[in-house]
Amino acid sequence: MLALVVTLTVVVVLLMVLVAGLLRSHADILRALHALGVGVGDPAGRPGATGAPSGPTPVTIGPPLPPERRSTTAPAVAGVTPGGDARALAVSGVERYTLLAFLSSGCSTCQGLWRAFASPGTLALPEGVRLVVVTKGPELEIAGEVAAKAPPGLQVVMSTEAWSDYEVPGSPFFVLVDGAAGRRVGEGVANHFHQVADLIRRAMVDARGPVEHTASTTHLDGPARESANDAALIRAGILPGDPSLYPRSLEDVFQGTAVRGAGGSPYQGTGR
Amino acid sequence: MATVEAHGIRARLPEGFDAHIFRRSTIGDERSYAVAHFATFPIPADTGDFGGGAVTLMRPSDIFAVLFEYGPESLGKKLFAERGMPRALQASDFRPTVLRRGLQGQAGTQWFFTESGRPFTFYAVLGAYSRRAVLVPKVNSLLSSLTVASAAATAGGGSTASPWN
Repeated sequence: MLALVVTLTVVVVLLMVLVAGLLRSHADILRALHALGVGVGDPAGRPGATGAPSGPTPVTIGPPLPPERRSTTAPAVAGVTPGGDARALAVSGVERYTLLAFLSSGCSTCQGLWRAFASPGTLALPEGVRLVVVTKGPELEIAGEVAAKAPPGLQVVMSTEAWSDYEVPGSPFFVLVDGAAGRRVGEGVANHFHQVADLIRRAMVDARGPVEHTASTTHLDGPARESANDAALIRAGILPGDPSLYPRSLEDVFQGTAVRGAGGSPYQGTGR
Repeated sequence: MATVEAHGIRARLPEGFDAHIFRRSTIGDERSYAVAHFATFPIPADTGDFGGGAVTLMRPSDIFAVLFEYGPESLGKKLFAERGMPRALQASDFRPTVLRRGLQGQAGTQWFFTESGRPFTFYAVLGAYSRRAVLVPKVNSLLSSLTVASAAATAGGGSTASPWN
Protein backbone atom coordinates (compact mmCIF):
# COMPACT_ATOMS: atom_id res chain seq x y z
CA MET A 1 0.00 0.00 0.00
CA LEU A 2 2.80 2.37 0.94
CA ALA A 3 4.65 1.51 -2.24
CA LEU A 4 1.55 2.37 -4.30
CA VAL A 5 1.22 5.76 -2.64
CA VAL A 6 4.88 6.54 -3.19
CA THR A 7 4.66 5.50 -6.83
CA LEU A 8 1.58 7.62 -7.45
CA THR A 9 3.23 10.60 -5.76
CA VAL A 10 6.28 10.29 -7.96
CA VAL A 11 4.12 10.03 -11.07
CA VAL A 12 2.14 13.12 -10.10
CA VAL A 13 5.32 15.10 -9.46
CA LEU A 14 6.74 14.05 -12.80
CA LEU A 15 3.54 15.06 -14.56
CA MET A 16 3.63 18.45 -12.84
CA VAL A 17 7.19 18.99 -14.00
CA LEU A 18 6.17 17.99 -17.53
CA VAL A 19 3.22 20.42 -17.56
CA ALA A 20 5.38 23.24 -16.20
CA GLY A 21 7.92 22.61 -18.93
CA LEU A 22 5.27 22.66 -21.62
CA LEU A 23 3.82 25.92 -20.34
CA ARG A 24 7.24 27.54 -20.27
CA SER A 25 7.96 26.35 -23.79
CA HIS A 26 4.64 27.78 -24.95
CA ALA A 27 5.49 31.12 -23.37
CA ASP A 28 8.85 31.18 -25.13
CA ILE A 29 7.18 30.49 -28.46
CA LEU A 30 4.65 33.28 -27.96
CA ARG A 31 7.41 35.67 -26.97
CA ALA A 32 9.38 34.83 -30.10
CA LEU A 33 6.32 35.28 -32.32
CA HIS A 34 5.60 38.64 -30.72
CA ALA A 35 9.15 39.76 -31.39
CA LEU A 36 8.61 38.88 -35.05
CA GLY A 37 5.52 41.07 -35.12
CA VAL A 38 3.05 38.21 -35.21
CA GLY A 39 0.83 38.94 -32.26
CA VAL A 40 -2.34 37.46 -30.88
CA GLY A 41 -5.40 39.69 -31.12
CA ASP A 42 -5.66 43.12 -32.74
CA PRO A 43 -2.22 44.74 -32.87
CA ALA A 44 -3.81 48.18 -33.14
CA GLY A 45 -5.60 47.64 -29.83
CA ARG A 46 -2.70 46.13 -27.91
CA PRO A 47 -2.61 47.85 -24.49
CA GLY A 48 0.55 49.65 -23.56
CA ALA A 49 1.70 49.96 -27.14
CA THR A 50 3.68 53.18 -27.42
CA GLY A 51 3.08 55.45 -30.39
CA ALA A 52 0.36 53.18 -31.69
CA PRO A 53 -2.68 55.26 -32.56
CA SER A 54 -6.11 53.75 -32.65
CA GLY A 55 -7.57 52.68 -35.99
CA PRO A 56 -6.80 50.03 -38.58
CA THR A 57 -3.23 49.21 -39.47
CA PRO A 58 -1.96 50.21 -42.91
CA VAL A 59 -2.08 47.79 -45.81
CA THR A 60 1.45 46.67 -46.62
CA ILE A 61 3.34 45.36 -49.61
CA GLY A 62 6.73 43.77 -49.89
CA PRO A 63 8.67 42.11 -47.08
CA PRO A 64 7.45 42.49 -43.48
CA LEU A 65 8.32 45.83 -41.93
CA PRO A 66 10.09 46.07 -38.58
CA PRO A 67 7.56 45.63 -35.75
CA GLU A 68 8.68 48.83 -34.03
CA ARG A 69 7.15 50.80 -36.92
CA ARG A 70 3.71 51.40 -35.43
CA SER A 71 2.87 55.00 -36.24
CA THR A 72 0.21 55.89 -38.79
CA THR A 73 0.69 59.62 -38.47
CA ALA A 74 0.99 61.62 -41.68
CA PRO A 75 2.84 64.92 -41.18
CA ALA A 76 3.22 67.43 -43.96
CA VAL A 77 6.22 67.08 -46.24
CA ALA A 78 8.47 70.14 -46.28
CA GLY A 79 11.83 70.56 -47.91
CA VAL A 80 13.38 71.96 -51.07
CA THR A 81 13.00 71.22 -54.74
CA PRO A 82 16.04 70.01 -56.71
CA GLY A 83 16.21 73.56 -58.05
CA GLY A 84 16.54 75.00 -54.54
CA ASP A 85 13.05 76.39 -54.02
CA ALA A 86 11.30 75.82 -50.71
CA ARG A 87 8.32 73.45 -50.95
CA ALA A 88 5.74 72.18 -48.49
CA LEU A 89 2.96 69.76 -49.33
CA ALA A 90 -0.15 69.14 -47.26
CA VAL A 91 -1.01 65.45 -46.98
CA SER A 92 -3.46 65.64 -44.06
CA GLY A 93 -6.52 67.81 -43.77
CA VAL A 94 -7.13 67.54 -47.49
CA GLU A 95 -9.72 65.64 -49.47
CA ARG A 96 -7.35 63.46 -51.45
CA TYR A 97 -4.92 60.61 -51.17
CA THR A 98 -1.20 61.28 -51.46
CA LEU A 99 1.24 58.63 -52.62
CA LEU A 100 4.70 59.39 -51.26
CA ALA A 101 7.45 57.65 -53.19
CA PHE A 102 10.69 57.67 -51.22
CA LEU A 103 13.44 57.28 -53.81
CA SER A 104 17.08 58.12 -54.16
CA SER A 105 19.19 59.08 -57.14
CA GLY A 106 21.69 56.30 -56.60
CA CYS A 107 19.58 53.26 -55.76
CA SER A 108 19.55 50.81 -58.67
CA THR A 109 16.01 49.61 -58.00
CA CYS A 110 14.78 53.19 -58.09
CA GLN A 111 15.91 53.73 -61.69
CA GLY A 112 12.97 51.82 -63.14
CA LEU A 113 10.59 53.80 -60.97
CA TRP A 114 12.09 57.13 -62.04
CA ARG A 115 11.58 56.02 -65.65
CA ALA A 116 8.01 54.92 -64.96
CA PHE A 117 7.20 58.33 -63.50
CA ALA A 118 8.28 59.92 -66.79
CA SER A 119 5.09 58.49 -68.30
CA PRO A 120 2.39 59.45 -65.82
CA GLY A 121 -0.34 58.36 -68.20
CA THR A 122 0.80 54.75 -67.92
CA LEU A 123 0.74 54.71 -64.13
CA ALA A 124 -3.08 54.44 -63.98
CA LEU A 125 -3.24 56.21 -60.65
CA PRO A 126 -6.82 56.42 -59.38
CA GLU A 127 -8.37 59.85 -59.61
CA GLY A 128 -7.71 61.88 -56.55
CA VAL A 129 -4.31 60.35 -55.79
CA ARG A 130 -1.43 62.79 -55.81
CA LEU A 131 2.04 61.41 -56.51
CA VAL A 132 5.00 63.03 -54.76
CA VAL A 133 8.59 61.80 -54.87
CA VAL A 134 10.57 62.44 -51.71
CA THR A 135 14.34 62.10 -51.64
CA LYS A 136 16.66 62.88 -48.79
CA GLY A 137 17.72 66.49 -48.39
CA PRO A 138 20.56 68.20 -50.28
CA GLU A 139 22.91 67.46 -47.40
CA LEU A 140 22.60 63.74 -48.22
CA GLU A 141 21.57 63.72 -51.86
CA ILE A 142 23.01 65.35 -54.95
CA ALA A 143 20.37 67.83 -56.08
CA GLY A 144 21.69 67.89 -59.63
CA GLU A 145 21.31 64.15 -60.02
CA VAL A 146 17.81 64.22 -58.57
CA ALA A 147 16.92 67.00 -60.97
CA ALA A 148 18.29 64.98 -63.88
CA LYS A 149 16.13 62.00 -62.97
CA ALA A 150 12.93 63.90 -62.20
CA PRO A 151 10.76 64.22 -65.31
CA PRO A 152 8.95 67.51 -65.96
CA GLY A 153 5.75 67.89 -64.00
CA LEU A 154 6.70 65.36 -61.32
CA GLN A 155 6.54 66.84 -57.85
CA VAL A 156 9.85 66.17 -56.10
CA VAL A 157 10.74 67.32 -52.61
CA MET A 158 14.14 66.80 -51.01
CA SER A 159 13.59 66.33 -47.29
CA THR A 160 15.57 64.22 -44.86
CA GLU A 161 13.06 65.16 -42.18
CA ALA A 162 10.27 63.50 -44.15
CA TRP A 163 12.26 60.25 -44.30
CA SER A 164 12.49 60.39 -40.52
CA ASP A 165 8.84 61.37 -40.04
CA TYR A 166 7.67 58.42 -42.13
CA GLU A 167 10.20 55.98 -40.67
CA VAL A 168 11.47 55.09 -44.12
CA PRO A 169 13.70 52.02 -43.89
CA GLY A 170 15.28 52.53 -47.32
CA SER A 171 14.53 53.25 -50.94
CA PRO A 172 12.38 52.55 -52.80
CA PHE A 173 9.58 52.83 -50.26
CA PHE A 174 5.98 53.93 -50.69
CA VAL A 175 3.44 55.42 -48.32
CA LEU A 176 -0.20 56.11 -49.14
CA VAL A 177 -1.84 58.78 -47.01
CA ASP A 178 -5.58 59.29 -46.67
CA GLY A 179 -5.77 63.07 -46.43
CA ALA A 180 -9.31 63.14 -45.07
CA ALA A 181 -8.49 60.68 -42.28
CA GLY A 182 -5.06 62.22 -41.74
CA ARG A 183 -3.21 58.93 -41.53
CA ARG A 184 -1.21 56.37 -43.49
CA VAL A 185 -3.35 53.65 -45.01
CA GLY A 186 -0.73 51.76 -46.98
CA GLU A 187 3.02 51.39 -47.09
CA GLY A 188 5.79 49.09 -48.14
CA VAL A 189 8.57 48.24 -50.54
CA ALA A 190 7.93 47.81 -54.25
CA ASN A 191 10.31 47.32 -57.15
CA HIS A 192 7.73 47.90 -59.86
CA PHE A 193 4.92 50.39 -60.00
CA HIS A 194 2.23 47.78 -60.66
CA GLN A 195 2.88 46.54 -57.12
CA VAL A 196 2.24 50.04 -55.88
CA ALA A 197 -0.96 50.29 -57.89
CA ASP A 198 -2.16 47.13 -56.15
CA LEU A 199 -1.29 48.65 -52.79
CA ILE A 200 -3.33 51.74 -53.60
CA ARG A 201 -6.35 49.71 -54.67
CA ARG A 202 -6.27 47.51 -51.56
CA ALA A 203 -5.67 50.40 -49.21
CA MET A 204 -8.46 52.52 -50.67
CA VAL A 205 -10.93 49.63 -50.49
CA ASP A 206 -9.77 48.88 -46.95
CA ALA A 207 -10.16 52.51 -45.94
CA ARG A 208 -13.65 52.79 -47.40
CA GLY A 209 -14.81 49.64 -45.63
CA PRO A 210 -16.78 46.69 -47.07
CA VAL A 211 -19.64 47.26 -49.49
CA GLU A 212 -22.53 45.78 -47.50
CA HIS A 213 -24.89 45.12 -50.38
CA THR A 214 -22.57 42.88 -52.34
CA ALA A 215 -21.79 39.73 -50.41
CA SER A 216 -19.13 38.58 -52.84
CA THR A 217 -17.02 41.69 -52.44
CA THR A 218 -17.06 41.40 -48.66
CA HIS A 219 -16.06 37.76 -48.87
CA LEU A 220 -18.85 36.81 -46.48
CA ASP A 221 -19.82 33.24 -45.97
CA GLY A 222 -22.48 31.22 -44.20
CA PRO A 223 -25.18 33.04 -42.23
CA ALA A 224 -23.52 36.43 -42.74
CA ARG A 225 -23.62 36.03 -46.51
CA GLU A 226 -27.25 34.93 -46.37
CA SER A 227 -28.18 37.95 -44.27
CA ALA A 228 -26.36 40.30 -46.64
CA ASN A 229 -28.15 38.79 -49.64
CA ASP A 230 -31.50 39.06 -47.90
CA ALA A 231 -30.86 42.70 -47.13
CA ALA A 232 -29.95 43.39 -50.77
CA LEU A 233 -33.11 41.72 -52.05
CA ILE A 234 -35.30 43.62 -49.63
CA ARG A 235 -33.72 46.92 -50.69
CA ALA A 236 -34.54 45.97 -54.28
CA GLY A 237 -38.14 45.45 -53.32
CA ILE A 238 -38.06 41.66 -53.51
CA LEU A 239 -39.72 40.35 -50.37
CA PRO A 240 -40.00 36.75 -49.17
CA GLY A 241 -42.52 34.88 -51.31
CA ASP A 242 -42.00 37.11 -54.34
CA PRO A 243 -42.82 35.07 -57.51
CA SER A 244 -39.46 36.06 -59.06
CA LEU A 245 -37.79 33.93 -56.46
CA TYR A 246 -39.58 30.79 -57.73
CA PRO A 247 -39.09 30.57 -61.53
CA ARG A 248 -41.02 27.76 -63.18
CA SER A 249 -39.13 27.79 -66.46
CA LEU A 250 -36.10 29.26 -68.10
CA GLU A 251 -38.41 31.80 -69.69
CA ASP A 252 -39.06 33.18 -66.20
CA VAL A 253 -35.35 33.66 -65.70
CA PHE A 254 -34.31 34.90 -69.14
CA GLN A 255 -37.36 36.94 -70.03
CA GLY A 256 -37.21 38.38 -73.53
CA THR A 257 -33.72 37.12 -74.18
CA ALA A 258 -34.35 33.50 -75.12
CA VAL A 259 -34.28 32.82 -78.87
CA ARG A 260 -35.45 29.44 -80.04
CA GLY A 261 -33.67 27.76 -82.93
CA ALA A 262 -34.94 24.99 -85.16
CA GLY A 263 -34.35 22.43 -82.48
CA GLY A 264 -36.36 24.42 -80.01
CA SER A 265 -33.41 25.17 -77.72
CA PRO A 266 -33.31 28.76 -76.54
CA TYR A 267 -29.50 28.74 -76.74
CA GLN A 268 -29.02 28.15 -80.45
CA GLY A 269 -28.83 31.78 -81.39
CA THR A 270 -30.71 33.02 -84.41
CA GLY A 271 -31.71 29.60 -85.74
CA ARG A 272 -34.34 29.79 -88.50
CA MET B 1 2.48 71.96 -38.92
CA ALA B 2 5.14 72.20 -41.59
CA THR B 3 7.60 75.07 -41.67
CA VAL B 4 9.02 76.23 -44.96
CA GLU B 5 11.57 78.99 -45.44
CA ALA B 6 13.47 80.54 -48.31
CA HIS B 7 14.65 83.98 -49.42
CA GLY B 8 13.87 85.45 -46.02
CA ILE B 9 10.23 84.36 -46.04
CA ARG B 10 9.23 81.85 -43.40
CA ALA B 11 5.85 80.22 -43.04
CA ARG B 12 4.62 77.91 -40.33
CA LEU B 13 1.82 76.55 -42.45
CA PRO B 14 -1.69 75.91 -41.19
CA GLU B 15 -2.97 72.41 -41.91
CA GLY B 16 -4.06 71.83 -45.47
CA PHE B 17 -1.79 74.41 -47.13
CA ASP B 18 0.81 73.76 -49.79
CA ALA B 19 3.61 76.32 -50.18
CA HIS B 20 6.21 77.18 -52.78
CA ILE B 21 8.80 79.91 -52.14
CA PHE B 22 11.13 80.71 -55.00
CA ARG B 23 12.82 83.24 -57.21
CA ARG B 24 12.37 83.29 -60.97
CA SER B 25 15.45 82.63 -63.03
CA THR B 26 16.83 85.71 -64.74
CA ILE B 27 18.45 86.56 -68.03
CA GLY B 28 21.16 89.13 -68.45
CA ASP B 29 20.76 92.11 -66.12
CA GLU B 30 17.31 91.11 -64.91
CA ARG B 31 16.76 90.96 -61.17
CA SER B 32 14.16 88.78 -59.58
CA TYR B 33 12.89 88.75 -56.03
CA ALA B 34 11.08 86.37 -53.76
CA VAL B 35 7.70 84.96 -54.66
CA ALA B 36 5.75 82.83 -52.19
CA HIS B 37 2.69 80.85 -53.23
CA PHE B 38 0.31 79.29 -50.74
CA ALA B 39 -2.72 77.17 -51.62
CA THR B 40 -5.13 74.63 -50.23
CA PHE B 41 -4.70 72.55 -53.35
CA PRO B 42 -1.61 71.24 -55.21
CA ILE B 43 0.23 74.20 -56.72
CA PRO B 44 1.24 73.50 -60.34
CA ALA B 45 4.93 73.87 -61.03
CA ASP B 46 4.39 76.45 -63.76
CA THR B 47 2.06 78.74 -61.82
CA GLY B 48 2.28 82.39 -62.78
CA ASP B 49 3.36 84.97 -60.22
CA PHE B 50 -0.21 85.93 -59.37
CA GLY B 51 -1.81 82.53 -59.78
CA GLY B 52 -2.05 82.09 -63.51
CA GLY B 53 -2.50 78.38 -64.15
CA ALA B 54 -3.57 77.76 -60.57
CA VAL B 55 -6.71 79.80 -59.92
CA THR B 56 -8.52 77.91 -62.67
CA LEU B 57 -8.02 74.73 -60.62
CA MET B 58 -9.66 76.11 -57.50
CA ARG B 59 -12.71 74.55 -55.97
CA PRO B 60 -15.17 76.68 -54.01
CA SER B 61 -13.49 75.67 -50.74
CA ASP B 62 -9.97 76.58 -51.90
CA ILE B 63 -7.66 79.48 -51.18
CA PHE B 64 -4.72 80.75 -53.21
CA ALA B 65 -2.39 83.45 -51.89
CA VAL B 66 0.77 85.17 -53.09
CA LEU B 67 3.39 87.15 -51.23
CA PHE B 68 5.30 88.93 -53.99
CA GLU B 69 8.41 91.01 -53.42
CA TYR B 70 9.26 94.09 -55.50
CA GLY B 71 12.71 95.51 -56.05
CA PRO B 72 14.37 97.96 -53.63
CA GLU B 73 13.63 100.79 -56.07
CA SER B 74 10.01 100.56 -54.87
CA LEU B 75 10.96 101.46 -51.32
CA GLY B 76 9.72 104.83 -50.22
CA LYS B 77 7.04 105.02 -52.88
CA LYS B 78 3.54 105.94 -51.79
CA LEU B 79 2.12 102.58 -52.90
CA PHE B 80 4.27 100.82 -50.29
CA ALA B 81 3.82 103.37 -47.53
CA GLU B 82 1.92 100.99 -45.27
CA ARG B 83 4.27 99.50 -42.69
CA GLY B 84 3.72 95.84 -42.00
CA MET B 85 1.78 93.00 -43.58
CA PRO B 86 -1.98 92.79 -42.89
CA ARG B 87 -2.62 90.10 -40.30
CA ALA B 88 -6.39 90.09 -39.80
CA LEU B 89 -8.51 90.55 -42.89
CA GLN B 90 -12.27 90.90 -42.88
CA ALA B 91 -14.72 89.16 -45.15
CA SER B 92 -15.59 92.57 -46.55
CA ASP B 93 -11.98 92.96 -47.74
CA PHE B 94 -12.62 90.37 -50.43
CA ARG B 95 -14.49 91.41 -53.57
CA PRO B 96 -15.30 89.69 -56.85
CA THR B 97 -13.87 92.68 -58.70
CA VAL B 98 -10.42 92.37 -57.18
CA LEU B 99 -9.16 89.51 -59.28
CA ARG B 100 -6.28 89.22 -61.69
CA ARG B 101 -8.42 86.85 -63.66
CA GLY B 102 -12.14 87.33 -63.25
CA LEU B 103 -13.35 83.79 -62.71
CA GLN B 104 -17.00 83.64 -61.79
CA GLY B 105 -17.72 83.01 -58.16
CA GLN B 106 -14.23 83.85 -56.91
CA ALA B 107 -13.19 86.87 -54.88
CA GLY B 108 -9.87 88.52 -54.19
CA THR B 109 -8.03 91.02 -52.08
CA GLN B 110 -4.69 92.79 -52.57
CA TRP B 111 -2.50 94.80 -50.20
CA PHE B 112 0.75 96.70 -50.72
CA PHE B 113 3.13 97.30 -47.82
CA THR B 114 6.70 97.29 -46.61
CA GLU B 115 7.72 94.51 -44.28
CA SER B 116 11.18 94.32 -42.68
CA GLY B 117 12.36 96.99 -45.09
CA ARG B 118 11.21 95.06 -48.15
CA PRO B 119 8.34 96.08 -50.49
CA PHE B 120 5.67 93.43 -50.96
CA THR B 121 2.19 92.82 -52.18
CA PHE B 122 -0.13 90.21 -50.70
CA TYR B 123 -2.81 88.90 -53.06
CA ALA B 124 -5.33 86.25 -52.06
CA VAL B 125 -8.14 84.55 -53.95
CA LEU B 126 -11.10 82.72 -52.46
CA GLY B 127 -12.58 79.86 -54.45
CA ALA B 128 -16.09 81.10 -53.69
CA TYR B 129 -17.11 84.59 -52.63
CA SER B 130 -20.17 83.04 -51.02
CA ARG B 131 -17.92 81.11 -48.62
CA ARG B 132 -15.86 84.10 -47.49
CA ALA B 133 -17.07 83.82 -43.91
CA VAL B 134 -15.48 80.37 -43.68
CA LEU B 135 -12.43 80.98 -45.86
CA VAL B 136 -11.20 84.36 -44.59
CA PRO B 137 -10.26 82.96 -41.13
CA LYS B 138 -8.04 80.43 -42.93
CA VAL B 139 -6.38 83.26 -44.84
CA ASN B 140 -5.78 85.01 -41.52
CA SER B 141 -4.25 81.82 -40.10
CA LEU B 142 -1.86 81.84 -43.02
CA LEU B 143 -1.04 85.54 -42.56
CA SER B 144 -0.33 85.07 -38.88
CA SER B 145 2.12 82.29 -39.74
CA LEU B 146 4.29 84.42 -42.05
CA THR B 147 7.49 86.16 -41.03
CA VAL B 148 9.83 88.14 -43.26
CA ALA B 149 13.51 88.73 -42.61
CA SER B 150 15.24 91.91 -43.65
CA ALA B 151 17.00 92.10 -46.98
CA ALA B 152 20.37 92.22 -45.24
CA ALA B 153 19.65 89.02 -43.35
CA THR B 154 18.43 87.39 -46.54
CA ALA B 155 21.51 88.35 -48.52
CA GLY B 156 23.70 86.54 -46.07
CA GLY B 157 21.42 83.52 -45.90
CA GLY B 158 22.75 80.00 -46.38
CA SER B 159 22.38 78.08 -49.56
CA THR B 160 20.23 75.00 -49.72
CA ALA B 161 22.36 73.53 -52.44
CA SER B 162 24.29 70.37 -51.86
CA PRO B 163 27.96 70.90 -50.98
CA TRP B 164 28.80 68.65 -53.94
CA ASN B 165 27.23 71.10 -56.40
